[in-house]
Amino acid sequence: MAEPLHSSGTYQGALSVPASRPSMIGRLISDYRTELAIALAILVLEGVVSALVPNALTRGNLADIGQAASPLIIMAIGQLLVVITGGIDLSVGSVFSLTGMITALAMVHGFGAVPSTALGLGIGFLTGLVNGLLVTVAGLAPFVVTLITYAAGGSLAFIVTNGQSLPVPDQSYVLLNSGALVPGVVNYALFCVVLLVACELFLRRAVAGRWLYAVGSNANASRLLGVPVRRTVLAAYLGSGLLASFASVLSLSYISNAEATAGSNLMLQAIAAVVIGGASLFGGTGSAIGAVLGAVMITAIQNGVNLIGVNSFWQGSVTAVVILIAVLVDRIGKGRR
Amino acid sequence: MQAPMFLLEARSIVKSFGPTRVLRGVNFLVAPGEVHALLGGNGAGKSTLLKIVTGDLSHDAGNLVFAGHDMASPAGAEARAGRIAAVHQELALLPHLSVAENVALPLCKRGLALFRPAEARRFAVDALSLIDPAFAAEAVDRKVAELTLHEGQLVEIARAIGSGAQLLLLDEPTANLTAPEAERLFTILRRLVSERPIAAVFVSHRMQEIRQIADVCTILRDGITSADRVPVHDLTDVEIIERMGQQSAASALGPMPHPSPSTAVLLRRSFGTFHLSGPATEIELPPGRILGLAGGPTGPSRLIDALIGEAKKPIWKLCRNGQSVAPPNPHAAAASGIGYVSGDRVNKGIIAALPIIDNVMAARRIVERRIWVGWGEPAEADRLLDTLNITNGRLWALPATMSGGTQQKLLIARWLALKPQLLVLEEPTRGVDIGTKREIYTLIRTMAGLGSAIVWWSTEHAELISLCELVIAFDVQGEPTGALAAAELSDERLAAATGMAA
Repeated sequence: MAEPLHSSGTYQGALSVPASRPSMIGRLISDYRTELAIALAILVLEGVVSALVPNALTRGNLADIGQAASPLIIMAIGQLLVVITGGIDLSVGSVFSLTGMITALAMVHGFGAVPSTALGLGIGFLTGLVNGLLVTVAGLAPFVVTLITYAAGGSLAFIVTNGQSLPVPDQSYVLLNSGALVPGVVNYALFCVVLLVACELFLRRAVAGRWLYAVGSNANASRLLGVPVRRTVLAAYLGSGLLASFASVLSLSYISNAEATAGSNLMLQAIAAVVIGGASLFGGTGSAIGAVLGAVMITAIQNGVNLIGVNSFWQGSVTAVVILIAVLVDRIGKGRR
Repeated sequence: MQAPMFLLEARSIVKSFGPTRVLRGVNFLVAPGEVHALLGGNGAGKSTLLKIVTGDLSHDAGNLVFAGHDMASPAGAEARAGRIAAVHQELALLPHLSVAENVALPLCKRGLALFRPAEARRFAVDALSLIDPAFAAEAVDRKVAELTLHEGQLVEIARAIGSGAQLLLLDEPTANLTAPEAERLFTILRRLVSERPIAAVFVSHRMQEIRQIADVCTILRDGITSADRVPVHDLTDVEIIERMGQQSAASALGPMPHPSPSTAVLLRRSFGTFHLSGPATEIELPPGRILGLAGGPTGPSRLIDALIGEAKKPIWKLCRNGQSVAPPNPHAAAASGIGYVSGDRVNKGIIAALPIIDNVMAARRIVERRIWVGWGEPAEADRLLDTLNITNGRLWALPATMSGGTQQKLLIARWLALKPQLLVLEEPTRGVDIGTKREIYTLIRTMAGLGSAIVWWSTEHAELISLCELVIAFDVQGEPTGALAAAELSDERLAAATGMAA
């Protein structure tokens, strides 16, 4: 008896008209609605600040915000990679501090700028490797693993110079931050934009980027499906460590002085930026654009509080309120079940 | 004349998720003293309705009255507390607590009251003994995490039955039970509803079971009630399926014709013959063979885990031309063309945070070692969804916007166009309505016809009998009890070999 199931026509399916798909623009707007909301919030914030302080929106002040935000932006992108997999990287602040100390120390000992920077980036790579291996191979909880490397890194940053701060001897090192590899674009802005675009493209268009979300959403289903879960998670921690180190050398180039406490505030700020940007700490969601906007938001708040002349002790409280609003709006936006 | 008193009165219930109207005015009336079957295809709204009754979801419009109280009022919510117990398809147990604690804790109304372990234990033993006294004594002190799926199901049912609730909602409770256990469950349900003014709502896709246990049925179709409190014996099987809106599937009840060998052979692409060996079993698995696994879940799981590289110390070996080709891990399995589809969508299948397109294309990206998400993927995914008659799937929507059965088809779609050399199916039709089951059978046949060897575990003997050329039966302990060829397959043989209900 003839079995129609086996005719190749049924199998391949008639080449029917594809189901109507939303336009590219419509999809982008719906995909990025959290990010659009944050961008809007930043504009409102700047509007309020400029109403209170006439000179807030000058080119100079906006450049200041960009300069101040750039290390946080880069760290937030790194943190995002880990958060998407459902993990967290508490070590980034210590990596930041230690990288600065080691890079400056190498230069003080006569190494050139390039090998010293490479050495500094090595700190992030190594920490990321240790974090990633302990999480994937040893199966320890990301919070615990990175708490360990946070503590160790933070203490090493003091040990290497006995707590002394180190000035960068090489005067030209400032060019890493303030030079212009591309004429007309200052480097820190260039790095931020390139990293943002690269990371967003990676997350949306690279298969490995999609695996990050898959692992964060359902690690078990991902593993059974054949996703290389360990490799994916390891790569996320490597990325986070490397970007924290890169943020540190960029900042060192600008400030020209390495301090053991340089990164102590940055870990929580990086996590906050990612959360404001719409990522869930349970994993599976988040975008690079959101994380970057979150970092800009945090910096803009600090800048605004300073300009308005409020005691800077209020910065933390204002940031707290913003995070609360961001997560509540996100929660409501995702809808009542 | 006095209107009959209903324990649960749900009238004109409406519920939408975003733009999708799942319930469009459903009536669902349950009287005390009855076992009430709630039937309907996937996406008909059964699960949504049950969640509204338990209060897990809110409804947009309609009246919901439980034991005479409007549930929208605070008094109604209070009336409901502790008086409706549900057993869901997905287990809702606390893995780090013992069985006794899992059964007894929900009954501790006041958080500050003392928890008396001895009393809790006694209560749990009593509740479990309703189903299986031997299991009660053995399992009561174990941690839930140590239980098998099947044992966990027993605990959930015992907890619901023992809770003293007036309304029991059982969503496919027998999916993981053996025949004697299912029998005991039915006996106990009968006794409970006859002794006390309580009611049980029973969701099942197994017609035989529905006839065995249910008095009346309510059938949902596309979010409306197509049969409102109709006695089950007034309807024939075909009528029930028609009311579920699956006329085309009505013929699925008959035996399915085997594919003619000539067409099948023509389309086969040769991968070579697999050789499968395990405890006292040697099986040849040529391209296109559908090997069934019956019984379980212990035995079939061991074999499946070995095939997909998930077993730590596999007792099954997979060879080809005398060489071992067993994959060391699931990634290697997928990359070498061993496909895997589980009926446990929530834990082993769907990636809920990624849109449908990523879920569909996932296997292809691994098999073809893709580095970038190709621009052609939307068209590819659209074609696959069209092939599977998935009409409501928008590629960038999340899988949760589709019904469970459609999600299941999506998981099979992952492998459909890839022609895997071996396709491993783990209860792919679990919790799926008859129409979708029929489609899944077709897909399995099609893939076998294209040259994939198929290993298929099912607890529904009927589907194994109609599709498999060879079935390995496992007993409850997980030991293989024999390999049955197509000609030897029958309900009785399989039931005897596995100890499971059909």
